[in-house]
Amino acid sequence: MDSIISFRDVWKIYQMGEVEVPALRGITVDIKKGDFVAIIGASGSGKSTMMNLVGCLDTPSKGNISLKSQDIANLSESDLSTLRGKTIGFIFQQYNLIPHMTAYENVILPLELQEEDETIAEKRAKNVLALVGLKDKIHHLPSQLSGGQQQRVAIARCLVADPEIILADEPTGALDSVTGKEVLDMLEKIWKEEGKTVIMVTHDLHLAEYAHDIIELKDGKVVRMEKNNKQK
Amino acid sequence: MVRHSKLRSWLTILGIVIGVASVIAILSMGEGMQQSVSSQLGDLGGDILTISPGVSKAARFSGHGMGGGKLPSSGTIATAEEIVLDRIDLQALKGIPDIKLINPIIRANADVYFLAKKGSVSVTGVDPKVWSQITLNKIEDGRMLGPSDANVVVIGGRLSRDYFDKPIGINQMITINNMAFRVVGILDNEGSDVFMPLQSAYHVLDDKEIGIYDSFEIKIKNEEELDLAIENIERKLMNVRHVTEKNKDFSIYSSKETAERVAEMMGSMTMFLAAIAAVALLVGAVGIANTMFTSVLEKTKEIGIMKAVGARNKDIMMIFLLNSVLIALIGGAIGVIFGYLLSGLLPMLMGGASGVTGKLGSSTIVTMNSVVLSLSISVIIGTLSGVIPAYQASKLKPVDALRHE
Ligand SMILES: Nc1ncnc2c1ncn2[C@@H]1O[C@H](COP(=O)(O)OP(=O)(O)OP(=O)(O)O)[C@@H](O)[C@H]1O
Ligand SMILES: [Mg+2]
Repeated sequence: MDSIISFRDVWKIYQMGEVEVPALRGITVDIKKGDFVAIIGASGSGKSTMMNLVGCLDTPSKGNISLKSQDIANLSESDLSTLRGKTIGFIFQQYNLIPHMTAYENVILPLELQEEDETIAEKRAKNVLALVGLKDKIHHLPSQLSGGQQQRVAIARCLVADPEIILADEPTGALDSVTGKEVLDMLEKIWKEEGKTVIMVTHDLHLAEYAHDIIELKDGKVVRMEKNNKQK
Repeated sequence: MVRHSKLRSWLTILGIVIGVASVIAILSMGEGMQQSVSSQLGDLGGDILTISPGVSKAARFSGHGMGGGKLPSSGTIATAEEIVLDRIDLQALKGIPDIKLINPIIRANADVYFLAKKGSVSVTGVDPKVWSQITLNKIEDGRMLGPSDANVVVIGGRLSRDYFDKPIGINQMITINNMAFRVVGILDNEGSDVFMPLQSAYHVLDDKEIGIYDSFEIKIKNEEELDLAIENIERKLMNVRHVTEKNKDFSIYSSKETAERVAEMMGSMTMFLAAIAAVALLVGAVGIANTMFTSVLEKTKEIGIMKAVGARNKDIMMIFLLNSVLIALIGGAIGVIFGYLLSGLLPMLMGGASGVTGKLGSSTIVTMNSVVLSLSISVIIGTLSGVIPAYQASKLKPVDALRHE
């Protein structure tokens, strides 16, 4: 089966004044459609950097990244935005909801940006909010929701456009372990039922056990890539 | 987007409101001043000259100021006792072909009694045959002085209405320096002067000597040849008075000249106001730009989020364009309303001022131009200062925008 994401000798070097900080040093990985991959590694090992590259939020310094067999270097700014909107759903550690928009408005935003038909968009947004269990909170502002609820809004927003790939960078990092487990159960359910490709960054090895495959980074290099035998 | 931190949006709008309102108010002041001056200039007969003894034109000019009547009154001058105009001068003037009418004038203050109340007013003796044809005053009630009048007066509008407890009406009697006069006319002006035939005036004004005049009011035949007429009159008078250009002891004063001086003054006043308006505009523009700029910069992270969920740069531009146009329009519209109200209040606020500054803001006119000008500036500046930072933020890589706090 074709890989949906492939990295070929990808480097990311940050320029800090005079000093060059290599965050990723020659990463080569392939992720297949329908995989559930956990990226683990110590703090500063380059996990977020790698996620940002997968999500086309950043560009590599060297090497090639392909998404659905397209080299992203060949895509324009607006193509990349469209690709993000339709193909990728993000879940961030800090939720990244727009603070002055209600849960519903945050969730429907990606569809509005795609100029989706209004009635379809409305139905879809309400569906995903119900799916994450926030049916009765759709008109709350993020500040009126708990951390776990906010993260569920973020999950609903990530799902609303029915993306093929879900990227979650420490999705439970700001949550307590019980709420974190709820969120992960939800992710797993979506992965199983909807056949999406999920990539999750975590430094919690317990959480990593939800995944199919584990990629471990150290100092910007892949040091381990294996099937998760202990998968729950 | 507008809902985001409502206070902030309202502050931005407030900045625009203040900018636009002050520009409109200041422009309305300048416009009102110009219109009132030009309407006054229209009133000042271009064919009327005043000749008075004495030399200093400038002193007299500033002496009667703008607040006085529309007529360039010759006023009483300290030196008038030594230097006078007399019958010889009058005769000489009568021989000048450029002159159509001559109205010899004497003027002094006198006590006036009405219904046992006393007041002090300026009494002007005029040639009753000529006065009605030469004066710029209009009759509101009754009639002008006529050729055969004696012991009658025409009084100023304010004297009639407000000076005494009760208004003075037509055919009522007033007493001036112990002589009774019947009021035959009331002028349509704000003056409290009394006009009476010259002969009566000599009678009631103690210190006036028959054959001596305080000034001559002259109407010339052809307004186009005003300068030539002035020259002829000047030459003739210098001749009969045995004076030269150097020790000239009289002055000829044309209302056109005043008009020009006033126009000049108003011109620089308008420039001054325009400069203030420009500063107000600049301050308004900077305020608008500043608030817009910061409020958009604060949204950099939001722009990052929107890009992450699929917003293209042009979507972001569109959102911020609409937002800033909306804010600028709301602010501009409220500003226009406030500017309008403010310009209505200005005459009251500046009512106390007198002289030339009394004209400033004494009437204000909001023109379509000033509304269009200030509105378009608020919209242009507001839009640019909303869109430029949004453009810069949209050019950031999403990951950098997301990192922004
Ligand atoms: N914008 C940046 N400018 C300079 N250096 C950066 C930048 N972002 C990341 N780095 C550096 O790149 C390296 C990898 O950072 P990254 O954020 O990918 O780590 P991480 O694995 O996500 O760590 P954590 O678990 O703490 O989130 C670190 O050394 C970090 O200091
Ligand atoms: Mg990280």
